[in-house]
Amino acid sequence: MHGPSFMKSLFHGVVAEGTIFPYPEPTQSEGDNLHIMMDSVRKFFAANVDSRKIDRDAVLPDDVLRGLKELGLFGLVVPQEYGGVGLSATGYARLIEEVATLDASVAVTLGGHQSIGLKALLLFGTDEQKKKYLPRLATGEHVAAFALTEPGAGSDAAAIQTRAEETPEGDYLLNGSKIWITNGGLADVLTVFARTSSIEEGMKPRITAFLVERAWGVKSGPNEHKLGIRGSSTTEVSFDNVRVPKENVLGEVGRGFKVAMEVLNSGRLGLASGCVGSCKRLIKMAVERCHERKAFGRPIGEFGLIKDKIASMIAECFALESMTYLTTGLVDAKIEDYSIESAICKVYGSEALWRTVNDALQIAAGIGYMQEYPYERLLRDARINLIFEGTNEILRCFIALSGMQGPGKELVEVAKAIREPIKGFGLLSDFAIRKARSALGRERMTRAHPALSRESVILEQYAGDLARSVDKVMRKHGNQIHEMQFTQRRIADMAIDLYAVAACVARTTRAIERRGEEGARREIDLTSVVAAAAEERMKQIAQSFDRNDDELRKAIASKSYADGGYPFDIL
Amino acid sequence: MKILVPLKRVSDPDNANKIKVGAGKVETTGLEWKPNPFDEYAVETALRLTENGTNAKARLGEVTVVTFGPKETETTLRAALATGADKAIRVDTTDDAIDGDLLARALKALVEREKPDLVLLGKQQVDGDANQVAQLLAEYLGWPQATFAGQITSEADKALLVSREVDGGSIKLRVTLPAVVSVDLRIVNAVGVTSMHTPPTHKYSDGVRFAALMAIMAAKKKSLTEVKLTDLSPDTALKIKYTGFDLPPARKAGVKIKTVAELVQKLKTEAKVL
Ligand SMILES: Cc1cc2nc3c(=O)[nH]c(=O)nc-3n(C[C@H](O)[C@H](O)[C@H](O)COP(=O)(O)OP(=O)(O)OC[C@H]3O[C@@H](n4cnc5c(N)ncnc54)[C@H](O)[C@@H]3O)c2cc1C
Repeated sequence: MHGPSFMKSLFHGVVAEGTIFPYPEPTQSEGDNLHIMMDSVRKFFAANVDSRKIDRDAVLPDDVLRGLKELGLFGLVVPQEYGGVGLSATGYARLIEEVATLDASVAVTLGGHQSIGLKALLLFGTDEQKKKYLPRLATGEHVAAFALTEPGAGSDAAAIQTRAEETPEGDYLLNGSKIWITNGGLADVLTVFARTSSIEEGMKPRITAFLVERAWGVKSGPNEHKLGIRGSSTTEVSFDNVRVPKENVLGEVGRGFKVAMEVLNSGRLGLASGCVGSCKRLIKMAVERCHERKAFGRPIGEFGLIKDKIASMIAECFALESMTYLTTGLVDAKIEDYSIESAICKVYGSEALWRTVNDALQIAAGIGYMQEYPYERLLRDARINLIFEGTNEILRCFIALSGMQGPGKELVEVAKAIREPIKGFGLLSDFAIRKARSALGRERMTRAHPALSRESVILEQYAGDLARSVDKVMRKHGNQIHEMQFTQRRIADMAIDLYAVAACVARTTRAIERRGEEGARREIDLTSVVAAAAEERMKQIAQSFDRNDDELRKAIASKSYADGGYPFDIL
Repeated sequence: MKILVPLKRVSDPDNANKIKVGAGKVETTGLEWKPNPFDEYAVETALRLTENGTNAKARLGEVTVVTFGPKETETTLRAALATGADKAIRVDTTDDAIDGDLLARALKALVEREKPDLVLLGKQQVDGDANQVAQLLAEYLGWPQATFAGQITSEADKALLVSREVDGGSIKLRVTLPAVVSVDLRIVNAVGVTSMHTPPTHKYSDGVRFAALMAIMAAKKKSLTEVKLTDLSPDTALKIKYTGFDLPPARKAGVKIKTVAELVQKLKTEAKVL
């Protein structure tokens, strides 16, 4: 499928309906297979996986790992011709959802392997590279990892210092170290990002992706002690003159940053679907608690403030699920650019899960706080999602800047703009022109079911508001926009809410077409709640573009930096 | 040995609260489905009888699974194929159009076509709980039967030594093949089944096996044929007629009792059992 991404169009006020209607769904045959697969997965976990013990011992026992491999969970995205299961993006996401429902440490281990670890090989590898590596990665005989982050380069991934020096023979010598690498202690094959140019001020850093075998001399440190997902292995990985043959360059030399960004774009969808799974589990636990626990002579589920929490959990889970599987559907339909959409799913998913786990623990109250019950572990496990695969702060900036950039420009440019504010953003200047041109585009939702007309109007109205706000801030601030993170956040938050509403409307339209309005009543109700909450937030945001205390808040922060903390005391 | 295993999907017992009754029928839309657990035990038993447990990949017999239902029920068959069954047959019909007797008559015709040495069934369905088909089928075929098997030892694939679970203990029967056997939960214990191919020292893991994901994809290539119910039994009249369905009454809230004396008191005055 060609054409600009749904969200990039929306930034111009154009509702690209054709992209999101009809709401995608897996084929019958893949759906059937997924049912059978999930049944196997549940049986395996019930018999073999003790999440409490895994959390306490901070390790996945060998027999669990072996069982996961035998089950085929390491080969989900590897095509069948290479011995994998060959699931679609949607199928993969759904299966990871199921695993995340059962155990987050396992989900992260599997994600480190195939959401990101071997993804560059899948996306950019040559036939020879795939033939050589994929079969053993598919069975889990080899485990993969994705090694980008370094002590001095987390969010700012382009600042990595690991060097790959070309030898006279054309091979590379790797030197440097990576930190916090998921599967660092298990991996046999690592996707490693390193500089293939010297570090000169003002020079474009050239980064290259390599497929590196541990056997060539890669060292890893001990497992880090972590807050959550404690059964996953997170270690330092270091390279001391590790020789990598030139055949193991992934993609083009010097284009490694693009490789990393593409891998993360796709990886974020697995993260989001994992959040769907965790939310569903927590909702089930909370609902059970609502029946069980009595206070003041009544089940706590009867109290309004508890019902409100449950309703929010369900509505947010519905929005997240709708967005995530809309996006995986777009990937399966081979739409080229889904980077904003997947970033939105990651941000919304990790935050919806964080709210959900917090509310579920609150409903459980005392027992929620006790280690005897799983709530506190689920809370600890959920926290990582806001941090890795791009922090939510970075992704909000990305959503806004990338959306304002318009279709067709490379993500790399956005990162560059954040890094090099002065030179970065020539591209923004023609935004106004494109905006004017796109005014001819459609701004209406025509394919939404009439039962959802109120929600469609919210979408249309605020899509217009987003486009106008973007236009205005760009006129006003020009290239300075890259320094204006408060504004970026407003834009990103509107974009996130708009995508949520669009996904719910598309999904519910499909449900109504299938089952009639009565049959789809619950989806209609949820869409209505999602849209109303989104409208509420967007209304406030739209006003705050002009009226806000951004400068005051910045000044307060700056002063406190000078003070070294909080300046007052009542004494 | 050739084994035929009839199996069926049932609505997920964990979703019992979703079941609705309307217009003299159980509403099935929106329910989630699972293989009937006792049928899964029968498939597991059949697989154990036709393999060397130390190398379960090589098949040493033939297991055919059959279900009676609409197209969607093929998922249940595919799941069984994925765990190792060799071929599958779907008899096209719906739950409303069959009862235990018609099922037994149709299975008899299928047995005559497929010529298995053994028909293995779950002792009952966890939805209808009728517990009839194995017994009726054995009668119609004129074959020996052993129901509620908790343990089976194959004697050179000529006869089976079956330990039947009955109230108060177990009964051992030797049945000569061909025969009809229905199985109970204990059959899937580590040592529930002893086949001539598996060393006696081998221990299975408890419970039924589950399919590896690659095998689930590969199972698509195994044979799954469709048969019309009338091809097996031209007479599709039912012996059982349902006249109505009611949900069980909601349970009344219980009471907490503090002392034994109070318990005795309540048993006397409220429960009136003492
Ligand atoms: C358990 C775990 C597993 C991980 N697994 C992997 C892995 O497999 N592979 C891998 O390569 N990495 C991995 N990471 C690293 C992870 O991706 C990074 O931690 C993450 O990118 C953030 O980098 P940082 O921690 O250095 O934070 P920093 O970049 O130092 O950021 C600190 C804070 O500043 C904010 N910030 C930074 N820059 C900006 C900006 N321009 N504007 C606004 N705010 C900003 C951030 O949002 C954050 O709040 C893992 C981390 C953890 C904890």
